[in-house]
Amino acid sequence: MSEQKLQSQTVQTTGHAWDGDLQEYNNPLPAWWVYTFYVTVVFALVYWTIYPSWPIGKGWIGGASSITYVNSAGETKTHSWNTRALLVKELNEASVAQKPYFDKVSSMSYEQIAKDPEMNGFIISAGKSLFADNCAACHQSGGQGVVGFFPNLADDDWLYGGSFDKIHETLLGGRRGYMPTFSEVLSGAQIDQLANYVASLSGIGHDATKASAGNVLFHSDTAACFYCHAVDAKGRKDIGAPNLTDNIWLWANVPAVQGDVSKVAAIREVIANGLNKGVMPAWAGRLSAEQIKVLTVYVHELGGGQ
Amino acid sequence: MAVTTYSGAEQYNFDIVKKFAVMSLVWAVVGMFVGVYIASELAWPFLNFDSPYFSFGRFRPVHTTSVIFGFGGSALFATSYYVVQRTCQTRLMSDGIASFTFWGWMAIIVLADISYVLGYSQAREYAEMEWPIDILIEVVWVAYLILFVGTIMRRKQPHIYVANWFYLAFILATALLHTFNNLAMPIDLLSMKSYSLFSGVQDAMTQWWYGHNAVGFFLTAAFLGMMYYFVPKQAGRPIYSYRLSIVHFWALGFMYMWVGAHHLHWTALPDWTSSLAAAFSILLLMPSWGGMINGIMTLSGAWDKLRTDPIMRFMIVALSFYGMSTFEGPMMSLKEVNALSHYTDWTIGHVHSGALGWVAMITFGSLYHMMPKLWDTKIYSQKLIEWHFWLATVGIILYIVAMWISGITQGLMWRTFDEFGNLKFSFAESVAAMMPFYAMRAIGGMFFLTGTVLMTFNMFMTIRQGKRENAILEAKLTAKLANA
Repeated sequence: MSEQKLQSQTVQTTGHAWDGDLQEYNNPLPAWWVYTFYVTVVFALVYWTIYPSWPIGKGWIGGASSITYVNSAGETKTHSWNTRALLVKELNEASVAQKPYFDKVSSMSYEQIAKDPEMNGFIISAGKSLFADNCAACHQSGGQGVVGFFPNLADDDWLYGGSFDKIHETLLGGRRGYMPTFSEVLSGAQIDQLANYVASLSGIGHDATKASAGNVLFHSDTAACFYCHAVDAKGRKDIGAPNLTDNIWLWANVPAVQGDVSKVAAIREVIANGLNKGVMPAWAGRLSAEQIKVLTVYVHELGGGQ
Repeated sequence: MAVTTYSGAEQYNFDIVKKFAVMSLVWAVVGMFVGVYIASELAWPFLNFDSPYFSFGRFRPVHTTSVIFGFGGSALFATSYYVVQRTCQTRLMSDGIASFTFWGWMAIIVLADISYVLGYSQAREYAEMEWPIDILIEVVWVAYLILFVGTIMRRKQPHIYVANWFYLAFILATALLHTFNNLAMPIDLLSMKSYSLFSGVQDAMTQWWYGHNAVGFFLTAAFLGMMYYFVPKQAGRPIYSYRLSIVHFWALGFMYMWVGAHHLHWTALPDWTSSLAAAFSILLLMPSWGGMINGIMTLSGAWDKLRTDPIMRFMIVALSFYGMSTFEGPMMSLKEVNALSHYTDWTIGHVHSGALGWVAMITFGSLYHMMPKLWDTKIYSQKLIEWHFWLATVGIILYIVAMWISGITQGLMWRTFDEFGNLKFSFAESVAAMMPFYAMRAIGGMFFLTGTVLMTFNMFMTIRQGKRENAILEAKLTAKLANA
C-alpha cells in the first residue's frame, strides 16, 4: 500500500474542488483491472461459442457444444446445446437406471415383489418420490392422512379393502365417499340418539337410553343406517362404508375433541350434514401402469396391507 | 476528518434532507422488523397464526418494499438532495417539489404496505404495487427527476461531481424500468386488480429486466453515488481515480441492462437469451469492481483511521461486501452454477450480502456522517456506533453463512439420485433439513435489527442534542442583543 500511497501523492488531481475539499486524483486505470476485464471479454466470447448466443435474423448462433441422447424410439439423436435436449438426456439417464427394475415390476406378481429384498428397496425408493409427488398432498408424507379430510393409509383399517388388488383398484379408478344428509329426514332428537349409539359402539361415554333408541333407529327403515354400514355396524368394503365399531375416525373429528359430550357432538354433525367430499382422483392415464403398481406395493407396505 | 464549519442552513434546503434522513431510519426499523418476523415464520411456522394477514406471502413484499424503497429510497432522496446541493453549491430548484417528493414517497410506501397486507399484489418481485400506486410512483419520480436535473442546471460549479452522475443515472433508469415493467390494464377503474400488457415469457423477461436493473441502478449505482461523496469526505482524501470513475460508470450502465435474463436460466426463456445474460454478467464483474477499487483506494491513505473511526469501518465493510457480492453474482449467473443455486436459499443469501453488507452499511456510514452535520452537532455516542457496527457485521455473517449452507444443501438434495435412478429426497425432506439454518438466519437478522435500533436511538439523541444546543445558542444571542 505504501507504493500506492506514494503514487497517489505524486499524481495530480483534476484541479476541480467541490464542497470545500472534495477532489479527485487522476490516477490511471489499474492495469490488473484492465487486464482482468480483457480476460472476462475472452471468457464471454468463448461462452458464446460454446452455448447458443446472439440472435441473427429469425434464428440464432447455435453454439459449438452438442448433446447426444437416445430417444424413446431407440434412435441416437445429436442436437446443438439446448436445455430441452439436456432435460431429455438427463431423464434418459435416470430411466436407464430405473428400467430393469420397472421391467421386473411389470413381470412380477405383487407377492413376488413383496418377498424380493432388492425389489423392496426399489419400491421404497421409487414409491417414496411417486407418493411424495402425487399422494402426499392429501394423505401426508407418511401416509397418516388428516382426520376430517383424508384417510390414514398407514394403519390397518381399510375403507375399500387393503389387499393388493383392492389398493390397485382404488388407485386406478379413484373413489368417491358419500353419505346422505340426515338433518332433513330425521329429527334432531333422532340424530342425537344415533350419535349416542355410534359412540357406544366404540366405547365412548354416552347416554345409554338414547343409545338404545339409536340402536333401534339404526336398524330401522326410517334411518336405514344398516343398508351401508351393515347390521353389525362393521361397514361394507364393497361400497367403502366405514366400520363404526373400531374407534378409528375419518370424518367425525372425534380424536381431536375433549370430553364425551363433544365427541358425541362430532359424530352428530356428520350424521346431520352427511358428506360429499371424499373424492380420490383416478390415476389411470396420469401415471403409467408400472408406476401405479409400484404405488400399490408402497401403500400396501405403509401400514396394514392385507 | 474534514470539518466543514459552515452549516449552510440558509444557503441550502436541509429541511427536506432531514425529513428523508429521519424517515429512512424509521423505515429501516419497520422493514427490518418485518424481515426478522418472516424469517422467524419460516423457522417457527406457528407465527403465521393461521391468518392471511400475517402470512409470509403478504409480509414478504412489506419487508422488501419497506427496506428497499422505504429505508434505501429515503436514504437516497436524503443523500442525493444533500450531495447535489453541496457539490453544485446551489439550493434545490424548488422547495415545493422537494416537499411533494417527500410526502408522495411516504404515501407510496404506506399505501403499498397496507395494500399487500390486504392481499393486493401484481405478483412482480419488487414491483408488487398495484396500478394506482404505480401511477403515484410515476408522478413522484418525474418530479424527482425534474428537481434533480433542475438543481444541477443551476449549479455554480463548472463540473458536475461524479456522485451526481450516479444519482442521475439511478433516477433516469428507475423511471424507465418502472414505466415499462408496470404497463398493465386495470380490470375496472374502481378495482385495484390489473393485468400485465405482456404475457408468458415476454412478461417474465420484462419483470427481470426490471428486477435486475432495480438492483443495478437503485441498489448499486445510486449507492455508489452515496459512496463517491461520503467516502472521500469521511476519509478527508481525494477520490483515487477520476478516470476509473468515468470508465466504470459507463461500463456499469451499459452492462447491467443486459443481464436480467440470468434470473430466468433453465426456464421457458430461449437458450440464446440466457447465454447472452450469463456472459454479460461476467463482463459486469470488473465494471462493478471499479467502484469498489475507487472507494478502497480512496481510503487507502487513511488506514490508521479505521482503528479510531467506526464510521469509516462501516464504509470499508460496505465496499468489501460490495466487492464480494458482485463477484458472487456473476458466478451464480453461469448456467451450470445456476442449475445448483436457482430457487435455493443461496439466492436469498446473495441478495442479503448485497443488501445488508453493501447497501445498508454504506447508508449507515453516510447517515452517521451526514446527520450530525444537518443538526449542527456531534454524534451523541461513539460507543453506540461501535456496538452497531459489530452487531450488524455479526448479523450479516450469520445470515449469509446460514443461507449458503442451506442453499447448497437444498440444491444438492434436489438433484441427488439413488442407485435405482430415483430422486433420493422428497421436497418436504429438504424443507425439514432447512430448519436449523432458518433459525440461524432469523437470529442473524435479529442482530442486524438490534444494531439498527441502536442507531435510531443514537440519532434521535443526536438530533435532540443538536436542537438543545441550538436553543442555548439562540438564547445567548437574544440575551446579548437585549444587553446591548
